[in-house]
Amino acid sequence: MSTPLPGLGELRARLDAGEVSAQELTAQAFARLDAVEPALHAFLFTRREAALAEAVESDARRARGEPRSALDGIPLALKDNIVQAGEPATCASRILEGYVSPFDATAVARLRAAGAVIVGRTNLDEFAMGSSTENSCRGPTRNPWDPERSPGGSSGGSAAAVAAGVVPLALGSDTGGSIRQPAALCGVTGMKPTYGRVSRRGLVAFASSLDQIGPFARTAADCAALLDAISGHDPRDSTSLPEPPLATSRALTGDVAGLTLGWLREAESVPGVAPGVLAHVREAVAELERAGAKLREVSLPHVPHAIAAYYLIAMAEASSNLARYDGVRYGRRASGGGSLTELYERTRAEGFGAEVKRRVLLGTYVLSAGYYDAYYRKAQQVRTLLRRDFEAAFAGCDAIVLPTTPETAFRLGEKSGDPLAMYLSDVFTVSANLAGLPGVSLPCGLDAGLPVGLQILGRPLEDATVLRIADAYQRRTDHHLARPPL
Amino acid sequence: MSARLEFETVIGLEVHVQLATRTKLFSSADVSYGDAPNHHVTEVCLALPGALPVLNGRAVELAVRAALAVGCKVQPHSVFARKHYFYPDLPKAYQISQYEEPLATGGWLEIDAAEGPRRIGITRIHMEEDAGKSLHEPGDPETQVDLNRAGVPLVEIVSEPELRSAEEAGAYLRAWRLLLRWVGASDADMEKGQLRCDANVSLRPRGETRLGTRTEIKNLNSFRFVEAAIRAEVERQAKLLRAGGKVQQATLGFDPERGRLFVMRVKENADDYRYFPDPDLVPLILSEERIEAIRRTLPELPRAREQRLQQEHALPAEDARTLASSRALADWTEAAARAHGRAQSVANWVLRDVLAALRERDAEPEAIRLTPEGFAALLRLVDAGRLTARSARSLLPELLFSGGDPEALVRERGLEAVSDAGALERAVDEALAANPKAVEAFAAGDAKSLNFLMGRVMRRTGGKADPARVRELLSEKLGGRR
Repeated sequence: MSTPLPGLGELRARLDAGEVSAQELTAQAFARLDAVEPALHAFLFTRREAALAEAVESDARRARGEPRSALDGIPLALKDNIVQAGEPATCASRILEGYVSPFDATAVARLRAAGAVIVGRTNLDEFAMGSSTENSCRGPTRNPWDPERSPGGSSGGSAAAVAAGVVPLALGSDTGGSIRQPAALCGVTGMKPTYGRVSRRGLVAFASSLDQIGPFARTAADCAALLDAISGHDPRDSTSLPEPPLATSRALTGDVAGLTLGWLREAESVPGVAPGVLAHVREAVAELERAGAKLREVSLPHVPHAIAAYYLIAMAEASSNLARYDGVRYGRRASGGGSLTELYERTRAEGFGAEVKRRVLLGTYVLSAGYYDAYYRKAQQVRTLLRRDFEAAFAGCDAIVLPTTPETAFRLGEKSGDPLAMYLSDVFTVSANLAGLPGVSLPCGLDAGLPVGLQILGRPLEDATVLRIADAYQRRTDHHLARPPL
Repeated sequence: MSARLEFETVIGLEVHVQLATRTKLFSSADVSYGDAPNHHVTEVCLALPGALPVLNGRAVELAVRAALAVGCKVQPHSVFARKHYFYPDLPKAYQISQYEEPLATGGWLEIDAAEGPRRIGITRIHMEEDAGKSLHEPGDPETQVDLNRAGVPLVEIVSEPELRSAEEAGAYLRAWRLLLRWVGASDADMEKGQLRCDANVSLRPRGETRLGTRTEIKNLNSFRFVEAAIRAEVERQAKLLRAGGKVQQATLGFDPERGRLFVMRVKENADDYRYFPDPDLVPLILSEERIEAIRRTLPELPRAREQRLQQEHALPAEDARTLASSRALADWTEAAARAHGRAQSVANWVLRDVLAALRERDAEPEAIRLTPEGFAALLRLVDAGRLTARSARSLLPELLFSGGDPEALVRERGLEAVSDAGALERAVDEALAANPKAVEAFAAGDAKSLNFLMGRVMRRTGGKADPARVRELLSEKLGGRR
């Protein structure tokens, strides 16, 4: 029988007390993985032998009294678009079949230096393009709360792995909500840091100006510990912030008294917001008020344009970032002879899935001469306006609270035939990416047996504030402890 | 219209210059030349998933030096953009370049045109990365790709269409080579591809102010080819226009072996490179202080040097021009002149003997190992009559390329001139005694005998006697016999 792994705090206490070894934890993680994986399909690759060997080393360090960090010996999972030296990195795309990265992402290098034990690589929408994990060349991941439903995406594998208790921690990436949305749909805590907080070196680029690596965990406190370990300036990422690593864990006081929360007026008028979702989010905000936070309404007038601006920018950057997958140097190359152009065409036709092709085509279009000003430049202007909206809103509050998603987990296949409906489900999440803000999603109850996510957005660089509010909520409630019936 | 339309040639050059950095523009891989393929690549050069570019600060500094040297306005804010096209030697399928906001704008470079010095306007200077190299082995249907060159830092320098002949284009390119080496921005070695250019060529009837349809000749990599290709294209366009035809906008290549142009592609529409600002890089911000700090490290530039050599050292224009054709040569010569005291004398030696020695070795002035003070010391030995000019000349190559103390070398080789009056007189007397026939002939009025006797004296002194002094002594002694 497998048992789900508890949170980081409890694991560390048991490791420190000598009640359990890292080796046993890793074995437990794999036992749990074996038990739930047939139902979930959260992982694309596992590294059993390597992980166990690393756990043995961790135990030896602990025995010598030299653990490297709070994460030493803790099993965790990586989304398969964050590279690790010697491991595959397919981004769930046929075009990267057989590719093995020769280098570590900066975040991965920091986790390895901290002694964390990486158990495997999780499923995602191909190149992180999607909101359901259905756009994986290896098939979808299923939601631990209901295997007929999507875990969300694109970091669906990481969210499901944490929700099912395979690992206490996982890394995902968030370009338009790809951490927060699956966290909400799977009932776990997931955080997108301020843009530039975590190095993007080794994160396979989807949309460079929006992509951020971030943590998944059961609690905000665990997310804080993981974020602290991977954050901080990286001279090898030009867009990395100059600040040193964060110490958000120390900012989790449990106290929100004196903080002002902004309730997003536009949230209620978004078409298709489920009343059950709104009700749970309102109740969560009421709980924070009871904890001493003040509440006021705020408005972000340009939010209705955020989805359009987001998809224009993301697709434009994607079309450029994915141009390198040409079959010439690595990954899949279409067989058969022919001209150079035929090689490119066949390789990319065979290697990319439908959603990636759609985005590359649209992105190529919006960057084309004659359309650039109407689309890409205009979208960047909207982005600037949206940033100003947030600046104005944050003049009157410390954080903005809103639902993470309009609905709870949808059925697999429900939206995959309607890309626009899928895009619209990102309405609450894309603004934070466009403005570069930190945001966290945390469970705030079940609606008809499915998790609802509360989203908290903060000012740029205020990663600690959003985690502090989320942690305060989790100290007063137990929604984060709800387990899927798995 | 007259059948013999007079045309004006209009040429603009896009010059690509490799900056003299140790590593590439966005990666830590070494810049190399002639090494085994794909030995100088990182994940950035290979465009592996997850790789990110980081700008090379030294490349920025060198690009700014080049821009300041031609009086360009260095922009406080410039932006790297992605220029997209698919090709196997372009790993990311885009080149990182600058587009809407280049590093520097405005400025001019002076060239020597037929009618005298003329300023050629510089439109812009921007930074970009080089592509790799596609290799085709004869008989092998496969293409091999070498990415050692991928990501090597370049500046592209775009001129105004103000060049009026193939010769002016050559002069413009030569002026850039001199200037780039002078300020240390590039080694500008065309054989290594460090300086290449594209030429935009059009003709228009004399007096017309609008530009004619142009063609672009790509990738010209020697001064000779630049001039030959432009000459051929001007001729082709003139013939076409005289026959009532129209020039079609096209991209041309030049086959140097046959001296012929060929069409690479005809432009229907402008290429669509889908430029957009590279989101992996932040805008390049250069503060006024940083630009000024770089400006302060610029040396005196070639034209100013030339003028100063004329004024300060009273050198003729031609001499000053030649000395200022290399910063190393100008520096060395000027230091030697200062150490020696007589600039013209030093310049004469440099222009004749030092340059000859360099040519002989096919060496650049940078190869000189003799200190300017050493060179001055050598010339002072000649001035003092302690070393003949001939001996000095024979020692020069060794001293130039190995260095050393001229005085010690002269002593070591026993080349000190015979200036001891007694020894010289003895040699003259001996020569006279040994050659009575010549003495008689001289007395009989044969002036050539004096030269014969001089030769004998020189031989007896091993060439170390001062010829003027020997002539004097001989004349004295023979005078009585006439």
